[in-house]
Amino acid sequence: MKKILLVDDEQDIVETLKFVLEGEGYTCYCAYNGEDGLKLAKEIIPDLMILDIMMPKINGFKISRLLKYDAKYKNIPIIMLTARSQETDKQIGEETGADVYITKPFDLDEVLSTVTRLIKEKENV
Amino acid sequence: MAKILMVSDNDEKIKHYDDMLSGMSHDYQFASDNQMFFDVLQINIPQIILLDTNSASLDLSLLYRKINSLKENLITITLLKEDKIPPELLNISDAFLMEPVSDNILISTINVNMRRKETLTRLATTNQNLSKSLYQLDVLYNTGSQFAATLDKEKLVNIMFEGLDKALGFSVACVLTFKADNQPLLIINSINQISDRLLAALKLRAVLNYKSLFENKEMPFELDIKELQAIKYAKNPIDDYDFSILRYDNMFAQINLSDNFYGFVEIFRENEFTNEDSQCFHTIAQQVSMPLKNAAYVQEIQEKNKELYRLEHLKSEFISIVSHELKTPITPLKTALQVMSSGRAGLLTPDMERFLSMSIKNVDNFKKIIDDLLDMSKIEAGKMNYNFTDMNVEKTIEFVKLQHNSVVEEKGLTLTTHFDENMALVYADNLRIQQVLNNLISNAIKFTESGGNIDVSTKIINAKDITTPQCFEDDVKDLKGNYVQVCVKDEGIGIEEEDLPKVFEQFKQVENSLQRKAGGTGLGLPIVKKILNEHNGAIWVESEINKGSAFYFVLPVLSDKTTFWISHKQLIKQAKVNKTKFLTLTISAKGDSIEQLLKEDNLFNGTYLNNSLLEKDDDLTSLTMVIPDSDKHLVEFLKRKIDTILLNEKARYGKCDIMYSYTVYPKEK
Repeated sequence: MKKILLVDDEQDIVETLKFVLEGEGYTCYCAYNGEDGLKLAKEIIPDLMILDIMMPKINGFKISRLLKYDAKYKNIPIIMLTARSQETDKQIGEETGADVYITKPFDLDEVLSTVTRLIKEKENV
Repeated sequence: MAKILMVSDNDEKIKHYDDMLSGMSHDYQFASDNQMFFDVLQINIPQIILLDTNSASLDLSLLYRKINSLKENLITITLLKEDKIPPELLNISDAFLMEPVSDNILISTINVNMRRKETLTRLATTNQNLSKSLYQLDVLYNTGSQFAATLDKEKLVNIMFEGLDKALGFSVACVLTFKADNQPLLIINSINQISDRLLAALKLRAVLNYKSLFENKEMPFELDIKELQAIKYAKNPIDDYDFSILRYDNMFAQINLSDNFYGFVEIFRENEFTNEDSQCFHTIAQQVSMPLKNAAYVQEIQEKNKELYRLEHLKSEFISIVSHELKTPITPLKTALQVMSSGRAGLLTPDMERFLSMSIKNVDNFKKIIDDLLDMSKIEAGKMNYNFTDMNVEKTIEFVKLQHNSVVEEKGLTLTTHFDENMALVYADNLRIQQVLNNLISNAIKFTESGGNIDVSTKIINAKDITTPQCFEDDVKDLKGNYVQVCVKDEGIGIEEEDLPKVFEQFKQVENSLQRKAGGTGLGLPIVKKILNEHNGAIWVESEINKGSAFYFVLPVLSDKTTFWISHKQLIKQAKVNKTKFLTLTISAKGDSIEQLLKEDNLFNGTYLNNSLLEKDDDLTSLTMVIPDSDKHLVEFLKRKIDTILLNEKARYGKCDIMYSYTVYPKEK
C-alpha cells in the first residue's frame, strides 16, 4: 500500500482528497499545519506528498526545501497546491524542488493522474 | 516775505536798498566784507542774494565759489556796472541787472524769481509724492503677482508682510488669523525683537480689536487670549521693542474672504501715515483676500481628494480581501462536487449527474468572476505585475485556440485563423495577452449560435491606416508606427452602435438578454482594455446587429521605442506604488545637434543613457531619458547640467528646447 501524506490547513480539502485517494487504494496520512506535516513526513517517509503553500507555522515552500535538500527524503515526490496563480510562485515552487505545481481550485482528475504518474516514476527510479 | 542778503561795499547802496526792501517788509540783511558774508551764511542761508559786482574791496571770486556751492537753495540777483557778465557768474546768477537799476525793476525781478522758486519747490514735492506713489503701485503690482503664485496660507501672509514693508515700511505688523481647526494665531513681523511684555500687550490688543469688530454681532470664531498662539519674526534680534511701540501711528484692516472672516492686519510705524499710505495699506489687505480664499478652496479640495483617494484605496483593498476570502471555499466546494460527480461517493441517477455538472460549471464561473475582481483591484492599485518579453502573437493565438477547441466542438462552432504572412514580434507579457485572447474568444463563443464561425486574424498595419468607429477614434489617435492588429470576429447578435463605447467601461455591461444568459461581471473587457493600455496598444469593436461583432486590438511592433515607452510607463507606475521619485528629461533640438552633443560632451557621463530614447522627427531630434530613484541632489545636478546644455546648445547650434519634469511621490507638501 502506497503512503500519501496530505498537508493543508483547510481540513475540508484534506478530508475530500483522503476520501478519494483511499478509494483508489492509497493509505493517507493527514497534517493540518506545516510543523506537523514536516514531522510526519520524516516519521513515515511517504511515497508522495501533497503540500499546500500558505499554511501557519511553516509554509509549503519551506517544507519542500527542507525535504528536498535532505538525502534521506529527497526522493519523496511533492505536489504543491496554491491559491495564487502568479508566475513567481511557480518559479519559487520549482526552485524549492516541488515536482508538480497545481493551482487551486484544482481539477480532481488532474490531481489523481498526477499522483499516479509521480508514484509510477518513483518506482521506476 | 523773502529773506534778502545784500552784498556790497557801498554803504550808500546798502542803505538805499535797506530802506526800500525793509519798507516792503522783506527780511533785509547785508554783508559789506568777506568775513561778514561768511558769518551771515553760517547762521542762515537767505532766499535771495543781491550781489553788487562793483565792490572792489570784496574778494568776488571767493564769494562766487561760495554762492555756487549753495546755488540750489538760493536766488542770486547780480548788479552789473557795465554790460559785461563775469564768466564765473553765468552759471550762478539767476538774474543780471545793469546799474543804475530802477527800483521797480529790482522789485519785479525779486518777485518773479521768488514765484519761480516757489513753483519749482511745489513741483519737486509733487514729483516726490508721485514717485512714492509709483513705487507703492509697483510694490502692489509685485505683491499682486506674487500672491497669484502661491496657494499656501502662511506664504501669502508673508508676502503681504513683505509688500507692506516695501511700500510703507513698518516697525511692527501683526496678523490675526484662524487656522484650519479654528485655532487662533497671531503672526508678528517686526524690525526689532518683541519683548515678552509687549507680546502680551499685542495679544491683548488683538483680542480687543477682534472683539470690537464683532461688537454687536456673533463672532465667527471663539477667541480666548489663553489659546492665542503667536509666531514672532524679527529682522534685528538684538534690539527690542517695548510699550513705546503702542504710541506709534497705526493702521488696521480686516481681511475678509467674501463673506467669511479670515482675520485682520495691523501695522505700526514711527512716522505718520499719509492718505496714500492708508490707501495702499487697504489695497494690499484686500489683495491678499482673493488668494487666501483660493488657498482655502484648494485646501478643501486637497482634503477631499485625500479622502477620495483613501476611499478608492479602501475599495480596492476591500475587493481584494473579499475576493481572496471568497476564493478559499471554492476549492473544497469544487473538489467535493467532483468527488460526487465521479461516482466515488455512490451511484448517481442521470438527474443527479445533470445537477452536479451544473453546480461545477457555476463554481467555475464563480471563480472566473473572483479572478476578474482580483485583477481589477490589482490594476487599480497599480499592483498588476507585467513580465514583458519579445513574443510572437500568432503562437499565443494558436495556444489559446487549443484550450478552446473542446468547447467550440461541443457547441457546434468552428474556429479559424488567418495570419499575416509577415511575422512580427511584439514586446508584451505573454500571460496577459493570453488573458486578452481568452476573454475575447470565450466571449465570441458565448455569443455565436451553433453552426457559426469565429475567426481570429492578424495583420501588420501602420498607425495611420488604422480605422475605427468614431467613438474609438480618441483611443487610437496617439498611436504611431507599426502595429500587429488582431481581430476576433464572431457571428453573434452584435452590439447596438450607441452601446459600443460602453463595452469597455467598468461595471457597465450592455443590457440584453443574451448577455444576461452568458453571465459575467462586466469586468472582462475593461480588464482587457487596461492590459492593452499598459502595452501601449489599443482595443475597439466594430459591430453589425444580427451579423456579429469584430473586436480589434493592436500591439506595437517591437522596436527600441516600444521597449522604452513601456518600461517608462512601468517605472512611473512602480514609482507611484513604491512612492519613490523619478525624473523624465526631454531635450529637443534641431538637426542632429543632440547626437553631436552626446559625442562631444559625454552627456551625464553616459550613466543614464540606458533608460533613454533618441528620436528623430524630420529635422528635430529629441532625447528622452527616465531616471528612476533620483534624489534631490541628482535633480539639482541635472538642473545645472540643463543650463549648461542650453548654453552650449544655443551658442553652438542655435535653438534648443529643454523640458524636464520631476515627480515625487508622495507629492511634496
